[in-house]
Amino acid sequence: MKLATILAGAGLAALIAAGPARSQELTIWHDLGDNGNKWFEQVGAEFAKTRPGVTIKPSSFPTDQWFGRVIAAINTGTSPDLIYNNYERVIRIQTQTNKVSDLKDVLGKISDKGFLQEDDLRVATYGGKMIILPVQRVQMALGVRKSWLEKVGETYPQTWDDVKRVAVKFTKDDPDGNGKADTFAMALQAAKPRDLIHMLDLFTFGSGLRSTLVDAKGDVIIDQPAHAQVLEEFLKTYTVYGFVSPDTINHSFTDMYQVIEGGRAGMFRVGDWNVKKWDSQAIKGDFVVGPWPQFAADRQNAVVIGGMRGVAIPENAPNRPLAIEFAQFLLSKPAQQASLELVGAAVRKDLDTSNLSERQKFFAEAKGKLVAYDFPESIHTWYPELEAAFHRKLMAALASPPKDFKAFIAETAAEMRELKAKLASKP
Amino acid sequence: MQPLVGQPFRLGALFGALSRDGAFYAFVAPFALLTCLFGLWPILLSFQVSFTASATALRADASYVGLANYVAILSDPEFRASLWRTLTYTAFAVILNVGFALAMALLIDSRFITRGRTFFKIAIFLPVVTPDIAGYVAWKWLYDRSFGAINAVLDLLGMPAFGGLASVSTVTTAILIAELWHHAGFYIVIFLANLAVRDRTLDEAAAIDGATTWQRILYITIPQLRPAILINCVYALIQFLKTFTVVVVMTKGGPADTTNFVSYYAYQLFDQARYGEATAMASVLFGIIAIFALSAYALGNGERGR
Repeated sequence: MKLATILAGAGLAALIAAGPARSQELTIWHDLGDNGNKWFEQVGAEFAKTRPGVTIKPSSFPTDQWFGRVIAAINTGTSPDLIYNNYERVIRIQTQTNKVSDLKDVLGKISDKGFLQEDDLRVATYGGKMIILPVQRVQMALGVRKSWLEKVGETYPQTWDDVKRVAVKFTKDDPDGNGKADTFAMALQAAKPRDLIHMLDLFTFGSGLRSTLVDAKGDVIIDQPAHAQVLEEFLKTYTVYGFVSPDTINHSFTDMYQVIEGGRAGMFRVGDWNVKKWDSQAIKGDFVVGPWPQFAADRQNAVVIGGMRGVAIPENAPNRPLAIEFAQFLLSKPAQQASLELVGAAVRKDLDTSNLSERQKFFAEAKGKLVAYDFPESIHTWYPELEAAFHRKLMAALASPPKDFKAFIAETAAEMRELKAKLASKP
Repeated sequence: MQPLVGQPFRLGALFGALSRDGAFYAFVAPFALLTCLFGLWPILLSFQVSFTASATALRADASYVGLANYVAILSDPEFRASLWRTLTYTAFAVILNVGFALAMALLIDSRFITRGRTFFKIAIFLPVVTPDIAGYVAWKWLYDRSFGAINAVLDLLGMPAFGGLASVSTVTTAILIAELWHHAGFYIVIFLANLAVRDRTLDEAAAIDGATTWQRILYITIPQLRPAILINCVYALIQFLKTFTVVVVMTKGGPADTTNFVSYYAYQLFDQARYGEATAMASVLFGIIAIFALSAYALGNGERGR
């Protein structure tokens, strides 16, 4: 009887093992649009080779809708299995839900991860938790229209003085040759505080500095000579230099892209995610990419790492163990190769770049010096409030430019120190 | 059917009316239910959310924080500035829109326009039926300082450039003009409807008595337009206190927060999932609108009673 039971049990186990694989669907919510959907589907097909029956269902939302939907879903127990976005956006999800899983152990179990740098892991960590598994670096550099440079007899600007010289020519010498004075030297944005700070970060970290508003200890640094120089030039670029469209103060991402893609600006920010589109459409490859120009002879300029993009797993994800497996798989070579080709970014350095354009290679092969954002909000709880006050001061200066920028910076620094002391003393 | 309105409430009378006019109430009930479901319920839900912690606002077991969200927004100097900005903008917008609409309606109704009256009516109402986003995008382009038509014309005339949406000193005027273009037609139609039913014999009698045109407008016509003035003022108050679309499309609250009105400020908080504070702001705005609207109606009823 015992033997019969054992045999029956073994038979049943064999039947289960040999039977068709149970189909399982993993949902992932992101904001990468069609290219992101293609990437996740391609990686999903690769993943299914080792996990038959598993399908990946990606859904892309506009970024502002992505926030609301993810937060609502996590808070109402209808969460997707994985969420994907920029690190700082996942921080906001964590602060609103407190239900983003700590992925430290998940990363610990991955053997092939030497390509992840200390900075990558630092920015992926918030409040002691690794809130995303970093799968793409967000790199940003300066793009300049090739045909405009040729028209005005210039080469790629290496220093900030070069930029200013080229900027005057781009504004006055009809670089697009249409006979009208309708071109601008640069395309920037400032409509919302975050828009403005992204631009300032680009100037600051691109110039090789390591902090925008406060240093690692939390001290306000904007009036230190090197920082003050960058901040002053930044404010003048928006105002007295006349390098940007006069409506830039109201320009958001969309407006800035209209100026760039509409052929009205000669110098602009290029993110690694822009290159694929701009190689084939809009600018059609008529641009050169390089590090942000050098501000001081003794400080090396850089390509800016604006953060890490990666996957996070809500604690109440319906298929959590499988979601963890898929997140780990996103760091594998085939998944990273697909990421590079379809989304324009990755973290591995052993990928095939032979089919990429020169501009894509610039980012993929990390040719320039890389300087990452400082992310003080992950250390100082008072930072967001201080930064918001700083934004307001800068926006006011753009709206009504001060007569003396140096005095404005000194006065702003004093105000920020006072506010920081007040905020830091709050229990 | 005896109307129940105006009678003292008695349960027996209610049951009597229900049994007597059963068919009427049976037909009305579905619509009353839908009104409660889709009209009142979301408002009540919004109030409820304003008393919860944002992180738990959407859960079934939301945690309630009392008046904390209201205290937070009222102690936020940005919100107080936004509220004051909204109130002053509304005051200007109501006076400008209703005043302009009244003048235009009197002009269209006057004997100065002998031909093409229908054309003018249609032309002036057309912006009202134009989708607001399309209209405001067009205005944004008109104001653009690099390629906008307004500055191109000013340039041709040798006049200084208009700051439009990019300058703190002109942005409010710029959006007031755009909103006037979009809304005034509606107020004009209300005034024209009121003008059509006014007692013209009073006007003729005043003319025979030697009253000037201005005196007749001031003492004969305008007093008869009180119902339209009241309706337009209340409607405009509600409309401009909630100013939102024009800001989203044209300014995003800028420059330097000059157009960051309460509706847009609350929207930004929704965007950050700060539901508790956002709905508290919406509730404060709702309260202000309700107070203004009810006061205006009370004022109007008082005037009629005299």
